[in-house]
Amino acid sequence: MMKILAFAGTNADFSYNRLLLRFMKKHFKQMADIEIYEVGKLPPFSVDTSLSEQTEVWKLKQKIKAADGLVFSTPEYDHGIPAVLKSAIEWMSYHTKVMDKKPAMIVGVAYGRQASARSQVQMRQILISPDCNTNLIPGNEVLIGNVRDTFAKDGRLVDQKAIDNLEECFEHFIEYIQIFQNVDKGELNMAVKQPTISDAYIQFPTGRLSLKEVQQIFSTIPFEVDLIDSTDHFAWYSDKPNREHVRNTASLGETVQECHPPMAVPAVMSIINSFREGKKDVVTRPLWMNGHRSLIQYYALRDINGHYLGTIEFTGSVEYILNLFENGAWDKDATTGASKKTNDSAEEPEEEMAVDASTGASESSDDSDASEDDTPLAADESGLDATTGASETGSVDAEDDTADASTGASENDD
Amino acid sequence: MKIAAIAGSNANHSYNRMLLEFMAHHFKDQDQIDVIDIRQVPMFNESFKGDAPEVIKDIDQRIKAADAVIIASPEYNHSITSALKSVVEWLSYKVHPLTGKPVMTIGASTKDQGASRSQVQLRDILISPGINASVYQGDEFFMSNVTSLMDYDGHVTDEGTIHFLEKCMNGFRFYAKAIDQMNKEMNNK
Ligand SMILES: Cc1cc2nc3c(=O)[nH]c(=O)nc-3n(C[C@H](O)[C@H](O)[C@H](O)COP(=O)(O)O)c2cc1C
Ligand SMILES: Cc1cc2nc3c(=O)[nH]c(=O)nc-3n(C[C@H](O)[C@H](O)[C@H](O)COP(=O)(O)O)c2cc1C
Repeated sequence: MMKILAFAGTNADFSYNRLLLRFMKKHFKQMADIEIYEVGKLPPFSVDTSLSEQTEVWKLKQKIKAADGLVFSTPEYDHGIPAVLKSAIEWMSYHTKVMDKKPAMIVGVAYGRQASARSQVQMRQILISPDCNTNLIPGNEVLIGNVRDTFAKDGRLVDQKAIDNLEECFEHFIEYIQIFQNVDKGELNMAVKQPTISDAYIQFPTGRLSLKEVQQIFSTIPFEVDLIDSTDHFAWYSDKPNREHVRNTASLGETVQECHPPMAVPAVMSIINSFREGKKDVVTRPLWMNGHRSLIQYYALRDINGHYLGTIEFTGSVEYILNLFENGAWDKDATTGASKKTNDSAEEPEEEMAVDASTGASESSDDSDASEDDTPLAADESGLDATTGASETGSVDAEDDTADASTGASENDD
Repeated sequence: MKIAAIAGSNANHSYNRMLLEFMAHHFKDQDQIDVIDIRQVPMFNESFKGDAPEVIKDIDQRIKAADAVIIASPEYNHSITSALKSVVEWLSYKVHPLTGKPVMTIGASTKDQGASRSQVQLRDILISPGINASVYQGDEFFMSNVTSLMDYDGHVTDEGTIHFLEKCMNGFRFYAKAIDQMNKEMNNK
């Protein structure tokens, strides 16, 4: 089903524009899954707002990326849109492209007869300005005036003409989104028909793999892999089913700053920088994710000359392995001598990076421990929907050779 | 003339605020320009309990004490900043110091064509019924590519710009006097 993010363009306790969105959410529930977003949750826009105050902004960007379309419900204040709505748009357009080409629609309610016509005109100009560049549906104006007659006391829209117009416009909007999505898919199909190198083999010194095999190996191994390239952009993730970190292709190409929750950025950057500077090769974080024991390992990716190519994040549930261990799978050494050997050699690359045994703690100890980067994970970070949240390492201490596992709270709840 | 000058940006380093400070200095022999910094103004909220936050009461008094108002507005997304819009909303809600006041809008932007759209919009906002200011429709003073006309510390370095600013101020003073006269006559009736 189509996912629509609908902005109630107000911070007032009572708002007809919010009522309109609630009506739409119910009325169109067969057609679209409408989530109402309260812009009052965001901090007032300022270019000087510190990163640590931008967690809510980051969450909103993730929601926008995951949405098929945006609906803006705008009151009119002094012939313009309310400051609080303008502030939200400034956040969504500042150093980010999340609204770029996103289908958008404007609706609005006002007390008087002229409805919110002027603020909607202004809103249109704003939404097509270069930094927003939404794919705004032309026409299809939803201007609901005379609230006292159009809304019942219980908040339902009761004016039949207004409802008919709303239905027509919203249906057009859904079609509009579909058309653009089909165009995009059409282009993709075209691409598949073109010659590709999918039948070619990559010749490694140790054998050859077809591209399909490469893809399927990454989808099959029980760990998921993400790559931040040498320029600190999110370049790739493995297409493993049931990932611990749910990723979205809309995040590909983003910088580390964009694709992580603001509170996590300093810690992530300190890992990446320690890799780039050659101070470390691996950082390990045992933690609980989605209700099971998991392991995240960050590895420096280097070419054979040791030049930094990027950072890979290697994540997976270790429940299966731990169960084997707890059930004594390694106890009878004679028959399984082989595994002992691999065990030893596996430790080599980690020499100095040995995981501190005492850090296996679960996320519950998280907040207390957030240490030297001065950005303890806020309590509400745990509610992050980790569409990208790559490595929400609140507090991995780059100076310390032991990875601090007592972080990662944010990875769990969603 | 006593002028309250609102700097419509909440950025710590703001060309619009510096432009007003430059004007306060440059025109000090003719005008007393009180530059109003809006960084402390909270987001407007219709559900606010009470008249207005203290900062707004302060701004209200300073505008009331002035003969005329200048608003310097940046352009964000082809529109005025949310920070300035929030101030305007507070000033159209429980207190209305802009009613009938002569207001001139100016603007500075770092981009090409900058601030022209936001000026048009700001004028439209200022004549809405809740505000009802007397907006000076004469010269349009806005500085696009402001960094080529003003240095980082806020000195306007371009002579042509300064001359045009002087011309605009002359026109505005004349307009403000006329509006003042008109307001007095209307009050006498
Ligand atoms: C500061 C302020 C300015 C307003 N300016 C206008 C206006 O210019 N035009 C208009 O039609 N209504 C104006 N109104 C009235 C609003 O349209 C009315 O409060 C409406 O209910 C707001 O939408 P909401 O119910 O979704 O909050 C203004 C209200 C406030 C608080
Ligand atoms: C969110 C945002 C949106 C912007 N959009 C525009 C724009 O649409 N047009 C423009 O000329 N400049 C735009 N700018 C650049 C501003 O003109 C520039 O930041 C200017 O310095 C702001 O004025 P100030 O220095 O007084 O704060 C934008 C800046 C920000 C932060």
